[in-house]
Amino acid sequence: MDKHGLEEFEYERDGLRIRLKKASAHSQGAVRVFPAPEIVVPGASPASHASASAHAPSAAREASSDPGRSEDLHVVKSPIVGTYYASATPGGEPFVAVGAHVESGQVLCIIEAMKLMNEIEADVAGEVVRIFVENGQPVEYGEPLFGIHPHRKK
Amino acid sequence: MFRKILIANRGEIALRILTACKELGIRTVAVYSEADRNALHVRFADEAICIGPPRSSESYLNIPQVISAAEIANVDAIHPGYGFLSENANFAEVCEASHITFIGPSPESIRLMGEKDKARVEMAAAGVPIIPGSPGVVPDEDAAKKIAEEIGYPLIIKAAEGGGGRGMRVVREKGELIPAFQTARNEAEQAFGSANVYIEKLIERPRHIEFQVLGDKHGSVIHLGERECSIQRRHQKVLEESPSPVLDARTRKRVGDQVVKALAKIGYSSAGTVEFLREESGKLYFIEMNARIQVEHPVTEMVTGVDLVKSQIRVAAGEMLADVVGSVEFRGHAIECRINAEDPETFTPSAGRITAFRVPGGPGIRVDTAAYSDAVIPPYYDSLIAKIIAHGHDRAEAIARMQGALGGFVVEGVKTTIPLHKRILADPDFIAGNFDTHFLDRSPALAAK
Repeated sequence: MDKHGLEEFEYERDGLRIRLKKASAHSQGAVRVFPAPEIVVPGASPASHASASAHAPSAAREASSDPGRSEDLHVVKSPIVGTYYASATPGGEPFVAVGAHVESGQVLCIIEAMKLMNEIEADVAGEVVRIFVENGQPVEYGEPLFGIHPHRKK
Repeated sequence: MFRKILIANRGEIALRILTACKELGIRTVAVYSEADRNALHVRFADEAICIGPPRSSESYLNIPQVISAAEIANVDAIHPGYGFLSENANFAEVCEASHITFIGPSPESIRLMGEKDKARVEMAAAGVPIIPGSPGVVPDEDAAKKIAEEIGYPLIIKAAEGGGGRGMRVVREKGELIPAFQTARNEAEQAFGSANVYIEKLIERPRHIEFQVLGDKHGSVIHLGERECSIQRRHQKVLEESPSPVLDARTRKRVGDQVVKALAKIGYSSAGTVEFLREESGKLYFIEMNARIQVEHPVTEMVTGVDLVKSQIRVAAGEMLADVVGSVEFRGHAIECRINAEDPETFTPSAGRITAFRVPGGPGIRVDTAAYSDAVIPPYYDSLIAKIIAHGHDRAEAIARMQGALGGFVVEGVKTTIPLHKRILADPDFIAGNFDTHFLDRSPALAAK
């Protein structure tokens, strides 16, 4: 799974369904929506899945205050809830990498919401110095995506 | 049974649904706006997802955001609570299309009950008495004159898509009819985007009595008795109780049976409330149905022992009503006081930080709240901060317990309607059960001392 960067594995036979899901482990401590790995067997007691999950709101707060430490870092936040994709096609070249110079209006990533691919654009020109999320990770509203060091105005 | 449920609401009802899910062993996902980052429903849910800025149109009412959250959290079902998306047929359809169970009635039932004139026709066809009036929308002035002659005066003109008193006109004599008809149409057009109005007999000194119903997905429907909600201020319920002080057992059974028959006919599932106006003669007339769990559901829970929210979840998962509820017995009397963060004199909302919060307890007292000391009441949502429910073996005991609870409820930092409730509970007419829906509006001394 890891090798192939898979997020989900689903197997179904004779009414038995097994689903594996890789946690989007995230060093910045942003929302971890899924406890992982998780095996879903229909008919099993729901209580058996009651594993603890990261506590989202406080984690999200830390994440949003973290980029603020760097003085003139411009943070691009997710305008919608959805799934973050770094590239236009699975396994394709990422839109941007750390160190890339971007122009205002340039596409930085895609957030998939309700089967729709929404392109997220840079709202400043500058150098991408941080990427806070990983490909395939679920993101909430307002979650920091990119840290951009803006170009100085001439 | 569901594995994981997303709760598309906030405040006390989100906590109420959380509690029900925990009892059933179901994992919970809270959604929240940026204004609710520190809210208790966020803290107590297994997972929480921020879905937008404070304004509810961009968060709690934002269907794509809620559905996206449900998809990334991989839930089986969504409980909409009350308000927000709870009676949005389109939302229920989007849930269906996304293979997520909407915990509530079918989109068709929601749509039917949302169009009040159609709902009336449907209920009348099933034998539920409706207020004498036009069979549907009154298209023009000639039709209005004809209907007025049939039902007599006084009468009332109402917006078909309306609510909250807008697009409403009372007509006491023939000469007022046509100007009032025109004004009501104009108001309806402006407020609701549709000039459709209907006409009905005006019920003077009405009491608001509603029946709690519950249906499953297998065609069974039951009722859980009535609630009296006549203590209102500008069409907003203030205090509710069950049973009604004026409804006798025979009427309860007759109207209850009619309601059950009508809803079984349309295949209604989940919780719902069928609202009636009672005229002084004692006759009940259907006015509308709310296709959701209601704010005042706890009074029914206290007198029946039926957990309505858990029942909603279980029937949504396909369980049979007979297994979920069984036989229902009515025990004692329950009263609910809605405590709003409002100035009790002027009723202007009082948002801000709660500096002290002490909840009453004792025999027969239940408090549903999401407030706490140091919580901030945001200005973006409704002002309900707590519901106190008092249960006693009869109405007098319930009143005494409520008086005690109101006295022991301490809220500092924001203004609340606690003093208003204290005055209502001490009013001789209220204690005697002698009131109608104009009780508060008629007693300015009571409503704003």
